[in-house]
Amino acid sequence: MIKSSSRTSPDTARHMVVDLPCGKKSLVRARSKIIKFAGEHGFSEDAEDIALATQEALKNIIQHACPADNKMHFECYAYPDRIVIEVADEGQGFDTAILEGEPSSPLALHGRGVQLIRGLMDEVNIASDQEGTLVHMEKKRR
Amino acid sequence: MEIEVEDKEGYQVVTPIGELDVYTVPLFRKVVLKLEGDRRHDLILDLTRVTFIDSSGLGSLIEAYQKVQAAQGEVGYVINNPRILKILRLVDLDRVFKVFPNLGQALQDIGVTGGYVDKEFFSDLT
Repeated sequence: MIKSSSRTSPDTARHMVVDLPCGKKSLVRARSKIIKFAGEHGFSEDAEDIALATQEALKNIIQHACPADNKMHFECYAYPDRIVIEVADEGQGFDTAILEGEPSSPLALHGRGVQLIRGLMDEVNIASDQEGTLVHMEKKRR
Repeated sequence: MEIEVEDKEGYQVVTPIGELDVYTVPLFRKVVLKLEGDRRHDLILDLTRVTFIDSSGLGSLIEAYQKVQAAQGEVGYVINNPRILKILRLVDLDRVFKVFPNLGQALQDIGVTGGYVDKEFFSDLT
């Protein structure tokens, strides 16, 4: 499994770890947990954006990488200047080069999740290998 | 989610109520893709009662657009929720869809104008 990036240091942040069953029904719960966490740490204005970005990342796990134990996992870190969300899975991974091309046509039926994540968050890094994928997202405090 | 369907001035007005996301999109698709009648390809999607939308919800709006375009019909989108307008803009759909601020405007202008896009309003969202 890909490890959290070095920029994320749980020692210096308020930290929340969430495990949920891997399924569509968990998305609403995930969203409400993020909104609550963001609100409690002064990110209310951007809570909806952060929650939607997280939901899009979790949706990719549901569609492509539900693990054998049927759990999906994400972590939230609140720093004085930013909030960080990391969504990790232990799926087979994918070639992230496919994300670097031109944005898909506005009328393409699929492939809009990552575009939304990038539009909603200030910094997004997606790392993937044969042992899994890590989506690292940051939103700066306004 | 609930979905209301009405025939108004020759247009099928579809009003989903609640969240339009990966969980509710199957019902929305079922309703929109199975519309019947001579004017089933003249459609207004009234999204004023949609409280949340994700990429799956956006996909269902595009699917409706493509279905109507293929039949040479017309489709308009009624949106007054700034969050939903913002999300449309993030994926450039504001440049494609005919968006109106209310149903009355949509019924009045859908066949006449290219849609309502308040540039000043959109510029405040970024």
